Amino acid sequence: MKRLLSSITDGKGFDILLVAFPLGYLFLMSGLPLLYNVLMSFQEVDMFSRGSFWRPFVGLKNYRDLFAMPETLPILYNTGIFVVASIAGQFLLGFGLALFFWTNFPGATWLRGLFLVSWVMPGLVVGAIWNWILSGDFGVLNFLLRETGIIDGNIFWRSDPDFSLWAVIIANIWLGMAFNMILLSVGLSAIPKDLYEAAELDGANAFQRFWTITLPMMRSTIGAIISLGLIFTLQQFDLFAAITSGGPNNSSNVTQYWAWDLSFRQYDFAKGATISVIMIIFVMFASVVYVRSTRHEVRG
Amino acid sequence: MTLQIELSGVNKYYGAFHALKNIDLAIEKGTFVALVGPSGCGKSTLLRSLAGLESISTGDLRIAGDLMTTVPPRKRDVAMVFQTYALYPHMTVEQNLTYSLRIRGASKAAMKKAAADVAATTGLSDLLGRYPRELSGGQRQRVAMSRAIIRNPKAFLFDEPLSNLDAALRVHMRKEIRMLHDRLGATSVYVTHDQIEAMTMADHVVVMRDGIIEQQGRPLDLYDRPANKFVAGFIGSPAMNFIPATVGSDGFSLVTHVGEPQTIVLDRALDPGRSVVAGLRPEHLTVVDGGGMFRFPVGIVETTGSATYISTATTPEITIVDTARRSIRTGDVIELTIRPSDVHVFDTKTGMRL
Amino acid sequence: MSNTMHNRLMLIIALILAAVYLFPLYWMYITALKTGSAMFATPPQFWPSDPQWQIYGDVWRSRNMGRYMVNSLVIAFGAVSLICVLGVGCAYVLARYRNVWVDIGLFLILMLQVLPASLMITPIFVGFSQIGLLASPRFAVILAIAAKSMPFFVVLVRATFMSVPQELEEAALVDGNSRIGAFWHIVLPLARNGILVSAILIFMQAFGEFVYSKSIIQAVELQPASVGLNSFMGPNTNEWNNIMAYATMYVTPILAIFVLLQRRIVSGLTSGALK
Repeated sequence: MKRLLSSITDGKGFDILLVAFPLGYLFLMSGLPLLYNVLMSFQEVDMFSRGSFWRPFVGLKNYRDLFAMPETLPILYNTGIFVVASIAGQFLLGFGLALFFWTNFPGATWLRGLFLVSWVMPGLVVGAIWNWILSGDFGVLNFLLRETGIIDGNIFWRSDPDFSLWAVIIANIWLGMAFNMILLSVGLSAIPKDLYEAAELDGANAFQRFWTITLPMMRSTIGAIISLGLIFTLQQFDLFAAITSGGPNNSSNVTQYWAWDLSFRQYDFAKGATISVIMIIFVMFASVVYVRSTRHEVRG
Repeated sequence: MTLQIELSGVNKYYGAFHALKNIDLAIEKGTFVALVGPSGCGKSTLLRSLAGLESISTGDLRIAGDLMTTVPPRKRDVAMVFQTYALYPHMTVEQNLTYSLRIRGASKAAMKKAAADVAATTGLSDLLGRYPRELSGGQRQRVAMSRAIIRNPKAFLFDEPLSNLDAALRVHMRKEIRMLHDRLGATSVYVTHDQIEAMTMADHVVVMRDGIIEQQGRPLDLYDRPANKFVAGFIGSPAMNFIPATVGSDGFSLVTHVGEPQTIVLDRALDPGRSVVAGLRPEHLTVVDGGGMFRFPVGIVETTGSATYISTATTPEITIVDTARRSIRTGDVIELTIRPSDVHVFDTKTGMRL
Repeated sequence: MSNTMHNRLMLIIALILAAVYLFPLYWMYITALKTGSAMFATPPQFWPSDPQWQIYGDVWRSRNMGRYMVNSLVIAFGAVSLICVLGVGCAYVLARYRNVWVDIGLFLILMLQVLPASLMITPIFVGFSQIGLLASPRFAVILAIAAKSMPFFVVLVRATFMSVPQELEEAALVDGNSRIGAFWHIVLPLARNGILVSAILIFMQAFGEFVYSKSIIQAVELQPASVGLNSFMGPNTNEWNNIMAYATMYVTPILAIFVLLQRRIVSGLTSGALK
């Protein structure tokens, strides 16, 4: 007992104590649900068996049923488009802004930071604002597009199956762009200035300097940001809830919204768990890429 | 004399890495001990083990006679001055000084008096209310020293405390630390990679390499009689010249082939024909105008004003320190001589002194 | 072109970019002040001719926003407190050591950070209902948010602890302090700002949390403002001025905190996310 106490005041016991509680908590609240999710995906879960842990095992039936559903493939396809378009938009616009603010005129840092408001706002509020901006007859975006001659008639962003997914993508790009820009700015400012001076003396023009110095030096940052973008994009739920609710007719539905919809709207917890398992495996794969690309920075 | 710090058979492992190898060290009360060696030699690990910041894998540590091997740092009653000074940035100078007293529950009045007393001896009286960030490098160093002094500990541990100061201040603080040590009658262990610091400050120098103690003793003993080639090369500046040689047939001379075949006279007999390394300190080589022991072509001449550093155009290169102002130029051939008692000889294989 | 001219030009372009980017926010504030007819006018009014200031009071009362905001605050404060109590020590240990175990712990934490809430809610909901936690739904949401956000908090705070030199802690140990004392007197005060900023970030996230609250809290009187906003927005609503007034009252406190602490929040965020 005395040794235990002295280990806590003076030795490794202190560290173990500090780390044991949070890790235990995370195991209980994240680890166990994760395992439970996998278990449920192999069980039959309905309103009656929900209260019991020992539900009938059905093997891979949930997975077979899931892929037999007509909406599964379109929703997976939507998810792919949502992820690729969101990341591309956030990254490219974010990179452009980061390069612009990199010139470091007075006030640049403060103004750049201001962009991050989109990221700290509740997702549901962002969704509500864009829902209104994208409204068909009275939306301000349609008005601006009409005035500038880009479109002739109103686009019904939320109710037209051809545009509903893009409505969410636009909002998501706005939401995540600033975060991309801030992280890219950090990466840019880490490149030593004398590299550019050396390249300039070697005769490289601005475009060549960007391709031969900026991009290669940013490789690990870009890798980290794209995998972070993938992770955040797959977490995006609030915008779907606030703008289209996955409709019309699943045209803007993606897996992370669908999983919730299956469980909490259709009370099909087994299928909700099944699609969750599939997506979680995918997200974990992305996070391994993220961890690998930040690995040397993690070790500091 | 009583032993203040005693290490016997101390080993330290980091996983498979053997950082301290069977260290035996006895430090008498009142001595100033310098641990010196190249980076990675284990000197800092040894010091941190004394403080209790690293645990000893096997072996015993005694401080003032008490077994301290597994005692936590706070119960060892030693004070440490860190390389970065480790001043608490959120506390004033006075709070930094009295931190250890506060932990031990000293009264406010006692702390104030102790801080004032120490500040008076180290010249910090006007700075007690300042924060570390408002101090210069030298002042910070003084605060770090004072924080150790105020405790009147069983031993002072210094971890390269002068390496962040500029050259002039370093020379000054060297003397100041030594004077404080004498006045306090303290026992100090001082880690440095600078052999000049070790030689000038310490009563007892411990030279370490790869986790073992290569040699320990009084500074001049290490200079005069280095136990092996490593210590010989490490102590002294510029470093000792090493020349491969063979013991001559009479046993009283060395034959070398640096430049032309030459002979170095010895004052003692060695086994004829044995392959050895001759060690010649640059300051022991004298340039003479004829009648020299050996001749070398001159490579580069550097003058500092007080001395001239001559490097020969041979392999290995030989450095000579010459304090007489001679007009020697690249391409000249100079004659050199050395007193036989100044010639060090080491075994080629083991590097041990012969 | 002279340097000041160049700087001025850049600043003007930057202000235009910021104005374009922040237009949605402006539109929220403006729409809230419009009358029902002005809201649907073509062309839309970019400046309200007849600002309706009383709308805030009306919406606050009719939607019972006070109750929603209190619930949001309870959930956010609960989650942040729990995360701070558990996460600070964990971040400290992960910052202080560099070995295989720390790497494994860090890896697990990064993994948990990425699990999407909408995918985790299914097992959490079923599990919570089985052990009876749904009887106190706000507490259940606090537990779930804490588990979701703690990894992010740990990553951010760990970066703060790494910037506290380890010598300071060692000096405190040699000066006679225990591990607990050194942590409490030396390390924590020096990491205070970083911890505070991370806590504020987590607070903002928890204040706007939606998935867990929507799924777990059925009783209207316990729901937070995000769920309240969601139920306000029916599929064919045309009360956009009222909705935007609600959104304004909901986000303005968050925006105010953000603008005030912008520099610290941005630097805290970037040090954690990439390092």
